Amino acid sequence: MTAVDGARRLPVPPKPRRPKALALGWALTALVVAVHVVAWDATEVSFGALADGWRGMADFLGEAVPPDLSWQVLGPSLESALVTLWIGLLGTTLSVPFSLALALLAARGTAPSTWAYQAARSVLSFLRAVPDVVFALIFVTAVGLGPFPGVLALVCHNVGVMGKLWAEALEDADPGPSLALRTAGANRVQVAAHALLPSVRPQLAGLLMYRFDVNVRSSLVLGLVGAGGIGFLINQSIKLFKFDEMLTHILVVVVLVVAVDRLSAAVRRRLSEGDHA
Amino acid sequence: MLALTDITVRYGERPVLHGVDVTVARGELLAVLGANGSGKSTLLRAAAGLVPVEEGRVTVDGRPRDRLDLAVVFQRIHLVRRRTVLDNACAGALGRLPLRSSLLGFPREVREEAMACLDRVGLADRAHDRAGSLSGGQQQRVAVARALCQRPRVVLADEPVSALDPAASEQVLALLAELAHLEGLAVLAVLHQPALAARHADRVVGLRDGRVVLDGAPDQPVDSLYQVLEAVS
Repeated sequence: MTAVDGARRLPVPPKPRRPKALALGWALTALVVAVHVVAWDATEVSFGALADGWRGMADFLGEAVPPDLSWQVLGPSLESALVTLWIGLLGTTLSVPFSLALALLAARGTAPSTWAYQAARSVLSFLRAVPDVVFALIFVTAVGLGPFPGVLALVCHNVGVMGKLWAEALEDADPGPSLALRTAGANRVQVAAHALLPSVRPQLAGLLMYRFDVNVRSSLVLGLVGAGGIGFLINQSIKLFKFDEMLTHILVVVVLVVAVDRLSAAVRRRLSEGDHA
Repeated sequence: MLALTDITVRYGERPVLHGVDVTVARGELLAVLGANGSGKSTLLRAAAGLVPVEEGRVTVDGRPRDRLDLAVVFQRIHLVRRRTVLDNACAGALGRLPLRSSLLGFPREVREEAMACLDRVGLADRAHDRAGSLSGGQQQRVAVARALCQRPRVVLADEPVSALDPAASEQVLALLAELAHLEGLAVLAVLHQPALAARHADRVVGLRDGRVVLDGAPDQPVDSLYQVLEAVS
């Protein structure tokens, strides 16, 4: 071959062996395996139980198919799906002012002091750490069953997540325009309003659409604990052993989730295209 | 107009400027030349108050510097690319606007003043375009308009043309010289190309190792500023 194409060749020198790295690699592998063995044991994974339950699941599916597509079922199902959508929408929109305020306090560069920065980060961490289902259970006890506690729960959790994401976006922004306005004598709030926020608006809007998508899906789960929407209907039909109705609801959910996901993705694509224009 | 007296700046232990004296008169474009690391950008930053000055004074018309007296034009332009040319120019006025009137759009008188500044740099017809859609040279002229909208008495330009092509560089420097001569501003421009300084500046100052080593006519030989030292300490 060398003679044919005439290219010069050199033997590849052997890689230097690094016994320490090798030992570390083996130790890490052993650790990962050990952790999985413990997890397997703790969660009582059992293929036997799965095999024994096969008949039960077949019965369940047999009763669910075909779905009950009569209008008495489909009508309320669509209506509740719409409620689920509204819960997700308001849960996202109503969290915007709180997320923005906390994000500005929790981003280096806009935080007025280290103290405010730490406090805002702590509040965001707390809101993120409490799952929305737990917020929903709390608000259901407080204001009763229905979609409203679902909205409140989503707002609380979403402020935690979106505030954090927005704060990161603010920190990643090009500091140049902010520096220019600071040297022109603008104060902190003016710099945020005239340099920082206009620069990162597409990123913030993209994250907002992503959270809307997630929140519509979350509001389904909230329905299961009594916070309104189509999740509530799914829960009811399981409790009443009406599995064909349950399947109808699930199909409606699939359509809703796919539609919202498409919409969110399309808007985000447009935003990132507009950025390069 | 602008007087930098006995300026000493250190980055940590390392002194970058040793007691530098530089003045810029009203109506004068002063070019500051020097090799990389000579301290010329640090001098501009010290004048603008962007780096702490260990010793020395910065005065404008004999009085301690007021931040609004000095406008800065940056090498990397630093416009908000997504906003309109007009909004970017208006932002220069933020320092004298009360917070309330600056949050919900700029007041009419500021917008009209910004239009006049854009007209001054020859870009009034692009007022409603997005800043990011302009060429580099045009963007730097918008940055100059933003600086003008600050109503400064001194303009500090930090390598304003090193990201621009030759034709745009000529245009921007001609604009800075014109502003000095016609509007009576004191303009200090840090430059990388001695040829540009020779064509547009009224005077040049050369820095080497944090000291002023030449000060005078713009067309004098400046090669000594850029000679490589044999032993780099």
